[in-house]
Order: sequence, then C-alpha cells, then structure tokens
Amino acid sequence: MKKISLNVNGKDHILEVEEDMRLIDLLREKLGLTGVKEGCSEGECGACTVIMDGEVVNSCLVMAFQAEGSSILTIEGLGDEENIHPIQQAFIDVGAVQCGYCTPGMILAAKALLDKNPNPTEEEIREAISGNLCRCTGYNKIVQAIDRAKEVLR
Amino acid sequence: MEAYKAKSIDEVIRLLSQFEGKGKVIAGGTDLIIDIRNKKVKPEALIDISSIDELKTIEDLGSFIRIGAAATFTDLVESSLLDENLYGLKKAAREVGSPQIRNRGTIGGNIANGSPAADSVPPLLCLDSTLILRSIKGEREISLRDYYEKGFKIGEDEIISAIQFKKPEGRQILSFAKLGLRKALAISRLSIATLLEIGGDNRIKTIRIASGSLGRHPLREYKVEEFLIGKDFNEEVINEAVLVLKEAMEERLKGRATLPYKQRAVERVFKDAIYGGLERLKVVEA
Ligand SMILES: Cc1cc2nc3c(=O)[nH]c(=O)nc-3n(C[C@H](O)[C@H](O)[C@H](O)COP(=O)(O)OP(=O)(O)OC[C@H]3O[C@@H](n4cnc5c(N)ncnc54)[C@H](O)[C@@H]3O)c2cc1C
Ligand code: FES
Ligand code: FES
Repeated sequence: MKKISLNVNGKDHILEVEEDMRLIDLLREKLGLTGVKEGCSEGECGACTVIMDGEVVNSCLVMAFQAEGSSILTIEGLGDEENIHPIQQAFIDVGAVQCGYCTPGMILAAKALLDKNPNPTEEEIREAISGNLCRCTGYNKIVQAIDRAKEVLR
Repeated sequence: MEAYKAKSIDEVIRLLSQFEGKGKVIAGGTDLIIDIRNKKVKPEALIDISSIDELKTIEDLGSFIRIGAAATFTDLVESSLLDENLYGLKKAAREVGSPQIRNRGTIGGNIANGSPAADSVPPLLCLDSTLILRSIKGEREISLRDYYEKGFKIGEDEIISAIQFKKPEGRQILSFAKLGLRKALAISRLSIATLLEIGGDNRIKTIRIASGSLGRHPLREYKVEEFLIGKDFNEEVINEAVLVLKEAMEERLKGRATLPYKQRAVERVFKDAIYGGLERLKVVEA
C-alpha cells in the first residue's frame, strides 16, 4: 500500500492505494465516483475520461500513484441535478444522450476544449472528442450540443 | 510490486540500479499499463518519471534542440521551437491517437517501447537524432540510427533523458505523412518522414527519408536517398523514387502478405510527405 494525496472535484483526499491500482479504480472504488465509466480498458474508447490538472486523460491508463499531488475533475464535480453545468444542459436539450455510457467522457472532453478555446470551430470540436467513442448518436448531436454550450458559456 | 513517484533523474537512476533490472520506468503509461495488465511485463517496481520537470523541457541550444524524454506529444504540439522547418515532427505528434493519448504519451516512451509504428521516430531519424542516456554510471550518447541499425540497447539501469538533434538549415524542410490507425490491422499502417532541400538550381541538395511500419523497426531509406541526391527535382524523378522505394520494400518484406498492399499505398504517403513539406515551406517563407 502507498499513501497518496490528491484533490478530486475540489476536495483534498489522503488515500491508501494499492501499487497496481489505476486511477479509474481509485475514483470508482475508493471514492464511489461511478460517473467514470470503464469501456475498453486500453485507451481506445474514452469512457473513463477525466480532467487531470486541466487536461483530458484516460483514467484507465494512469496509475493511481502517478496522480499524487494532482487535481482531478470528474463529471460529478462538474455539476449535478441541482447545479447543472451548461454543457450538461446543452447535451440534454439537444438530445445528445442516448444510452449515456459515453456522456461523462464526452462532456469532460468538451469542458477541457472550451476552457482552452471558448470559440471552437466544428472541426476543432470533432478533434477534441476524437478520443471518445459513441455507439449510439452518430456524433452529430454531440457536436451540436457542444456548439450550443459554447454560445451559452461565452 | 512497489511504486515510486520520482522527483529527479538522480532518484530514478538510483532506484533502477537498486532494483537490478527488475524496476521499470513508467512515463505516460499508455503502452506500459496495457502490457502490465496483459501480464506481458511483470516489474517488481514502477518508477514514475511523468512529473520530473528536468525531463520535460524542450530547449533551444543554439544550433541544436533538446527534447526531454518525458515531454508529451501535447508538449511537442504546443512548442514554438518546432514550428517552421521542424514542422514534420510536430505533425507526427499532432496525429498521434487522441487528445487523451497525446496528453500522456511521451516521446521517450514512444522510442523505448520499440514499436515499428512509433510515429515520432521517422522524423527523428531524418534529423539524425541522438539519444542521451543516463544511469548511475553516468551519461552516454548513442545515435538513434545506431540504436536501430546496430541493435544498440538501452540498459536496464538506464533511462533516456533526452533526444537531441541539429536544427535544419537553410531551406531544409522536415515533413511527415501517415496512413492508418494504430489499431488498424498492421497491413494498413505506414508512415514516411522526409527532410528535403531543393537548391537554387532546382537540384535536390539534401534528402533524408525514414519510414515507419515498413520493417521490424523504423528505418532510413538509404537507397531512395542515394537515388534522389543531386537530381533535378521534378515529378518524373519523384515517380522514379517511388519505384526505388518499392524495390527496397520488396527486398525487405519479400514473402509477407502485407507487401502488395503496402507497395500500393506507399506512393501516396511518400508523395504526401514530399509535397506536403514543400507546401509548408511556402508558408514558412511567406
Ligand atoms: C489508444 C492509443 C492510441 C495510440 N496511438 C498512437 C499513435 O498514433 N502513434 C504512436 O506512435 N503511438 C501511439 N500509441 C502508443 C503510445 O501512446 C506511444 O508509444 C507513447 O509514446 C508511449 O509513451 P508513454 O510515455 O505512454 O510510455 P510508457 O507506457 O510509460 O512506457 C513505454 C515503455 O517505454 C519505457 N520508457 C518510457 N519512458 C522511458 C525513458 N525515458 N527511458 C527509458 N525507458 C522509458 C517504459 O519502461 C516502457 O517499457 C497509442 C496508444 C494508445 C493506447
Ligand atoms: S476504458 Fe479507458 S479508454 Fe476505454
Ligand atoms: S450515447 Fe450511447 S455510447 Fe454514446
């Protein structure tokens, strides 16, 4: 076991983690943040996407001990029913959520994009979500939702 | 398994020596974590180098550029030192995987992992890059070419600390083109990097060509280089160069099922690299 400290969704934690634990396991099992989804476990699908120190990463490809000292944002930290984030609202309004499995990762990819580039082109939006697979929507609705969110956020 | 988040190069090499070959460096983890989960590697210790600042800097050393081994693909994409004539290296970094992979994957991991499809390697081969290695015994340098061609090894107690190369001179332009996704069947993957300079007399003054996925490791295509050097630059010559490249592939990949497809596909990738580079040069010089 190894003791690490990190900040998740604005809260500081000191946790004991197994050496072979991944960040996704820490978030889901130790902290109960089940909005972090596990799909492929090998970096292909983006369902496990979180924002780590301002950048999107696949939490299935980060070891928990590597996250020592970092700040992590998961979908739970972005907003909830009472405090919904404009990107989440846009996904609902446009109908960009079907089964919802890809949605947390998509929304976090959108958030990381809009934080850096508040007025992205459609091409830039598509590039930003290129590491996130969706089996349901065919992506157009998702792109529209992010485009709408950017107008609201500006 | 033990796990260490190292804070300095000295700490890393001390740990590597202490674990006598059974410790493994982890940078972005985008190759290694998958290998560990598939039980392809079973290290006794993981030594994380992903937050060591001295391994992440991209430095301008006058006529050379030095890239810290733990610089991520995103760091390369965002570096202003890799604009202009070094555009091919930046392009290779920009086309890696996805934003998530580029934010974690490092140039040192790309080289050390040893995939024939490692995208940063063909541009680095065109630049005649040098690997700077560190262990508790000290520092040594090996050329990236020797690393592949002479089968030089990175010791179990060594890390790549940086990659260094001379800046392209004058009108030399580095370019890169690739085909196929990493997960696509191996048959449809290939990449080409070129360093090209056309003199005032329209003759090819500098040409270096390196390929990815056209052999067991990325390699320089010397036969094509020899064919092109000094020739007048025109479409016909480039078409002939494609034939020379196909012949070289034939020798190397004879009998492989992937050969016919790759021979057909290589023409476009090669031309994309050559002409894409010249387009870029116009922008640089504008
Ligand atoms: C979904 C996905 C898409 C990908 N797409 C691409 C692509 O388009 N192009 C491409 O080229 N690659 C691609 N990759 C492969 C991978 O991301 C790259 O090879 C990356 O550069 C590996 O770097 P890393 O820092 O993650 O290495 P790690 O996984 O941390 O390490 C890989 C190996 O290198 C060793 N190592 C790492 N750093 C050093 C060092 N400084 N000194 C000595 N040894 C070291 C480790 O011990 C390990 O053996 C992809 C991977 C995934 C999962
Ligand atoms: S579960 Fe991490 S990328 Fe698919
Ligand atoms: S909504 Fe089902 S995978 Fe995207």
